[in-house]
Amino acid sequence: MMPKRILGAWTFILLVQLIFSAAPDQEAGFPFPLAQYQLKNGLEVILSEDYSLPLVSVVLAYHVGSIHEQPGKTGLAYLVENMMFLGSLNIGPMQHISYINRIGGEPNASTTEDITYFYETVPSNQLALVLWLESDRMKTLEITSAKVEKVRQALLDEIAQRRAGDPYLESSLVFDRLLYHDFAHSHDILGREEDIRSVTAEDVKGFYTGYYVPNNAVLCIVGNIDSAKTKELVEKYFETIPPGKDIPLLPPPKLPEKKPLTQVFQESLAPAPAFHLGYRIAPPYSSDYYPLVILDYILMKGKSSRLFKRLIKKESLAFYLSGGIEKRKDAAAFKVFAMNNNNAMVDLCQKAVFSEINKLRTSYVSEAELEKAKNMFKKDYVNRFSTPLEKGLFLADTFFSPVSLENAPQELGKYLRITPFEIIGIINRYFTPENSILLNVKTR
Amino acid sequence: MKKIFLLCGLIFLHALAASPQEKFRKSPPFPEPLQALRLPAIESVRLSNGLMVAVAYQKNLPFISLELVVLAGESSSPDKLPGLATFTAEMLSRGTPLISGSEMEERVESIGGSFSATTSLDYSRFSFLFLDEHLDQALELLSLMLLQPAFADKEIVNLKRTDYYDILQRQRDPEFIGRRQLLRILFKNHPYQKSLYNEDVIKNISRESILNFFEKYYRPNNSVLVLAGNLNLTTASRKVSHYLNMWPKQDVERPLPPPLEPNNSERVCYVDLPQAKDATLFIGNVIFPLADSDYFPFSVLNQVLGGTPNSRLFMNLRESREFAYYAFSEMELFRSGGVYLIRAKVIPSACFASVQEILQELSRMAKEKMSTFELEQAKSYLIGNFPLQVHRLDDLARRISEIAGFSLGEEHWNKFYENIMLVDLSRVSEVAVRYLLPRPVVIIVGDKNSLFDHLRDFEKLEIYDLKGVYRYTLTKGVEE
Repeated sequence: MMPKRILGAWTFILLVQLIFSAAPDQEAGFPFPLAQYQLKNGLEVILSEDYSLPLVSVVLAYHVGSIHEQPGKTGLAYLVENMMFLGSLNIGPMQHISYINRIGGEPNASTTEDITYFYETVPSNQLALVLWLESDRMKTLEITSAKVEKVRQALLDEIAQRRAGDPYLESSLVFDRLLYHDFAHSHDILGREEDIRSVTAEDVKGFYTGYYVPNNAVLCIVGNIDSAKTKELVEKYFETIPPGKDIPLLPPPKLPEKKPLTQVFQESLAPAPAFHLGYRIAPPYSSDYYPLVILDYILMKGKSSRLFKRLIKKESLAFYLSGGIEKRKDAAAFKVFAMNNNNAMVDLCQKAVFSEINKLRTSYVSEAELEKAKNMFKKDYVNRFSTPLEKGLFLADTFFSPVSLENAPQELGKYLRITPFEIIGIINRYFTPENSILLNVKTR
Repeated sequence: MKKIFLLCGLIFLHALAASPQEKFRKSPPFPEPLQALRLPAIESVRLSNGLMVAVAYQKNLPFISLELVVLAGESSSPDKLPGLATFTAEMLSRGTPLISGSEMEERVESIGGSFSATTSLDYSRFSFLFLDEHLDQALELLSLMLLQPAFADKEIVNLKRTDYYDILQRQRDPEFIGRRQLLRILFKNHPYQKSLYNEDVIKNISRESILNFFEKYYRPNNSVLVLAGNLNLTTASRKVSHYLNMWPKQDVERPLPPPLEPNNSERVCYVDLPQAKDATLFIGNVIFPLADSDYFPFSVLNQVLGGTPNSRLFMNLRESREFAYYAFSEMELFRSGGVYLIRAKVIPSACFASVQEILQELSRMAKEKMSTFELEQAKSYLIGNFPLQVHRLDDLARRISEIAGFSLGEEHWNKFYENIMLVDLSRVSEVAVRYLLPRPVVIIVGDKNSLFDHLRDFEKLEIYDLKGVYRYTLTKGVEE
């Protein structure tokens, strides 16, 4: 009889020690070894050893989010995320959290437009427990009408709380519909209230069996692990979970019409006038995307960014400012949201934003300012390697992004090589009137 | 050929799906043996001007986390100027005579850095995280702040405005109000009371008072500097000495505040917060100070009582009775005393019943021994969770600065596991009797329109306004 490890059900597709070189070349990413392979059922597995503390983080990410929802069925991805804590065949409702908490671990989950993450950080001797829990809800999530009703109420409460806590919520949802041109990209992750009210257990089952399957997921395990033992555990808990059907490809985002658009929205709860300004920009990880990210740091990130300094500190034109690049899978936008004391300030504030953008059309950014933007970006980028959990989330994101793990070590360098010339180029290509959307928010 | 293999594989997998589940799925697996915790060694040295420099080596991250702790917190603010310690700390990064506050911010961000100041009752903490290739620039910036602060009038005016609105904003948060009111009662007539100031004291702070506070307390011999990251003590002390050796030392008087007195009378207090949908409860009393050996058994007790959603309070008030959205307990420890506090958000109609349940849980904890299972589960949580408390570089540096600043020593570092393991049922009972039997103070925060009818069941209810001023007492719902 052959040793079990050779007969084992997992198949190596790729077992690469990707060394993110720590060589003097500061453009190389960051040292962290990893191994990637695929199980027979299509589940991708990424292992990374990190012996700094006796901890392990497990990230199970499914390639599904709000972008996969159909009209009339919004909120399903977030609903399934919540359902995942209400029990599966061998694990009772909320027991998942109890099991993790009892051993001092921290469980959590989150949903974006195209990825749903489930993750836990636990003492490394408890890795098997996490795999047992995650595999059970991947294989046998229990979806009943009573459970759907429970989650429905929780989501409706959450929407009500969000509405009460964010007086500009309605205007931001309207703004997204103007900015992103198709249904898939423009609707909110929480979903529409009327859709959530009408969702059935059958809808949830259909969505779950379609997307929460091994061939649509990546399992990242980072921490104080023995790779060989971990592979055995992964095989034991996940190999026999049957794959789902092929995941349907999403249509590419609809290209927007090139014309300026300005609208007014009456926000009943807003305490002050405000505006949303947006520019449709190059899709994530396209060649123009990299200088756009650095531009984001020049304009919006930090207290010394151009817009923060001028609008908040120097001229007090706004008392609240937020925004920057927002990516939604294969579409992206640059957003500015400002709250102002009165309508005259709204007008002055918008003029100041346009004037800062216009300055960048013709004048090169200084080397010092560009260096500052790159250093801030670099800090945020490498901060994603600061804990086993951050690394696991980074690996899952990278796996599902067009970058791919093999090319990841070169990514940081692409941002750090941006020149002032490229900044001028993208400002003139994307920050144009015909590419902009402006939504003025009036108070009632 | 490949397709046939794939087809066979799929048939095999579908057959497995239809078959009864594997035995191992029915119950949780046994854990492997607990791995040893090897924490980074803390090395320290005292520079000639008295500054203690501590270093924790952590490789693999291109950051350095710097924590400067100045041992002067709100308890050191003058009696007539509460808030001065916090204000002084916030002013530190706001410029020198030659460099504006705005330019300082720009310099911090230029090295991929973030800088923040926080003030507690006993100390002021400055946290600086930056890319490690910029250690020199970071230390130079820190030296500018410590050796040449301008405390410019313009910056003082700006900060007063920001702080004023920040406090007003926080006063919309029922948790902030509840905690503050509880501490106002427990810290009454104690130096710690100064940390619980209102927005109107900000206007009393002057440049002269800031300078005096700075001159008196911001001294190297009254401070601890911790660096965590890819560097060793030799490099760190050489560089810190280069940039901060001109920071002059001076004797600092720092008397230990008197011990806190526990409450032992029945006190239920109410603060009206218009438009609050629910009732927020804060219940607590005085416990031991920071460096006390009761810390370990009380940590276990706290875990059983209300540390997580598996603890007694959450299971009772939320899961069993469905009174609460959440119910947790925690402890806050200071140099001369500490407090335990229970916080819960409950539905208004269950306010009285929730308070009774919480008081009963406290009494039960003090009068009945917990089960060995509960004890071991709580210890397992604390041991398992400890590495998570220090796994971020900034958390690590923060923890070390507390250990070094308050001489907590190995007991709270390498011996943490051991000290938790040694806690037994009798030690937990001992601290439960000592700290949970005295009657705690109860604070209720909520909108009187939705809550008042449900408060009539309380025998006596002291009514306070948002500023903490006592207004009147209700006896069985009737004003005295």
